[in-house]
This record gives sequence, C-alpha cells and structure tokens, in this order.
Amino acid sequence: MTGQSILRAEVPFPPSVEDFFPPAIVEGTYPWLTKFTVLVVLAAVVIAAFFLIAYRNPKLVPTKAQWIAESIYGFTRNNIAHDMIGPEGVRFAPYLTALLSFLLLTNIFGIIPGIQVSPNSHIAFPVVLAIISYVMFIYVGFRRHGLGYIKHSLVLPAPWFVQPILIPIEFASTFLIRPFTLAVRLFANMFAGHVILLVFTLGGFALLNSASLLLKPVSLVSWVMAIAITFLEVLVAILQAYVFVVLTASYIQGSLAEEH
Amino acid sequence: MADDSTPKQPRPPGDPVSGAGQGWTALGYLIGGIVAWGFIGWLIDQWLDLNGVATVIGSVLGAAGGVYLIVMKLGRG
Repeated sequence: MTGQSILRAEVPFPPSVEDFFPPAIVEGTYPWLTKFTVLVVLAAVVIAAFFLIAYRNPKLVPTKAQWIAESIYGFTRNNIAHDMIGPEGVRFAPYLTALLSFLLLTNIFGIIPGIQVSPNSHIAFPVVLAIISYVMFIYVGFRRHGLGYIKHSLVLPAPWFVQPILIPIEFASTFLIRPFTLAVRLFANMFAGHVILLVFTLGGFALLNSASLLLKPVSLVSWVMAIAITFLEVLVAILQAYVFVVLTASYIQGSLAEEH
Repeated sequence: MADDSTPKQPRPPGDPVSGAGQGWTALGYLIGGIVAWGFIGWLIDQWLDLNGVATVIGSVLGAAGGVYLIVMKLGRG
C-alpha cells in the first residue's frame, strides 16, 4: 500500500517548499503582491497606527492602549537597550522597539487563524532584517572608532603568537557568521514551525480520507498534536523575536565598547 | 522585575552581555573558528594536493582557537 493509494487527490499532502511561495494575488504582480508582502505591509501599518493612536493623547493615568505601548517601549528601552548597551544605548531604543514589535507581530501571524503563515518563514524577510542590523552595528563601530574599528573588532588582547590564529576567527565570527545566523535562526524557526503545523493539520485530513478504517481515528491524534504545537509556536514566536532584538543590541554594544 | 526599585547599574563597557548573547557569542566563535581555519586549510589542500589533511588540521586548529577566544572573552570574572 503506497502513500498515494490511500490518499484522495484533493488533500495537498505532504507539505512542500511550494507552500512557502504563495502565488500573486493579482495576476502578473509576482513576487511584489503576494500574501507575504501584504502581511509585511499590514504589520507595519498596524504597528504604526497602534503607537500613533496610543500616544496621540497621552494621559498621566494611561489608557489601556497607552499602557500596552508604554510597556513595550519601556521593556525594550530599560531591559534591552539600557541594560545591554548602557546609558548611550537609549538612543537605539526606538529602532529596537520597532524591530521587536514588527518581529512579534509577523511571527504571531504564523498562528493567527486565517493568516497562519509568517512572512519570516520565507528567507527573504529575515535576510533584510539581518542586513539592517548588520549594517547598523558596523556603521556604529566605524562612527565610534573610525578606521580603528577594524583593529578594534579583529585584534583581541592576546599574546602576539596566537594573533594569526585568532584574527581569521574573529573576522569570520563577527562579519560572516553573525548576519548569517541572525537571519537563518529566525527563518528556520518559523519555517520549521509552519511545516510541523502543516504536517499535523493536513496529515489529519489525509488520515481521515484514507481507505483504511483503522487509520481514520488516528486523525484525531494528529489534530490534537496540531493544537499543542500551535501553543508551542506562540512561545517560539515570542522567543525568536526577543532573541533577534537582544542579539542586535549585543552587537551594537560590541561596536560601542571602548576596549575588550 | 517591574517593581525593582533599586536602579540597575549598566554593565561596564566591554563586559560581555549576559544570557542569550553570551551563548551565541560562544557558538559563533566555535563555528567561526572551524569555518575560518577549515577554509584556509581547504585552500592549502587545493594548492598542495594534500587529500584533505590540511582541512582537518585547519578545522581542529580553528576549533582550538575558538575555544581559546571563548575562554578569554567569556571566562573572566
């Protein structure tokens, strides 16, 4: 009994990479007008509107929206920007807050019914976000140290005879591994989460439609798993947004540091 | 810790950041060491036709250098 013979044709199972290339919404606009680009614009508009409305008429005793907005900004400013970068890190708080809110919302899209896919599960979007952070920490380093930033970031206080071994490692870990892992960590987490949800949800239908009577009840197990994984995905979405922002702050801190 | 009334001291500059940052720094150095010196070893392999010996030596050397960097940067204090 092969997999094909027990499945009806209309169940798109197993999921494939094609699921991460949504078609154009209007004919001929691919890849500029797809589900992902609409979601990205939607996220930006929602976040901008939320913060504008929440702060439009600030009160000493905050309204609910103002309180949420202040909590998000206060958390990023105090617990990430100030604690990790130091007092001068506060000027990066607006960028870090925008990054955190954008990542949180786009990651959470992965489990909102009706949307159920995060743009970050397509490598293109994490790559752009990683490039922004990458250019930023290098730019900040050059602004602080001038051309000395190259020495600052590559040469560590160590005996001279180990320097030839350490300098290529420093170069690789700072300028090659950092942007790569920043993008791939977020992408891989969101991609894998979406694939797992697809496997259990569509797998449930595949089992229900199977010819074998014994396999039909197993679909319930599959759907229970899908629900459980959905809750796990909430955790992953929040954690990955946080990790991305924390690492960006940590890279900026490294660029600003006076000595090692 | 929203009700933490004592003002927190910012970390002194140059101090490695805590938690996730430290973990990823360590991982970055280890991978960076193996990749950087593995690549240099591979180039020497291609040049001198050593059948991968230099790649292996480079990777091990890089891993050792990575561990050295981790200890040096994160091991203090």
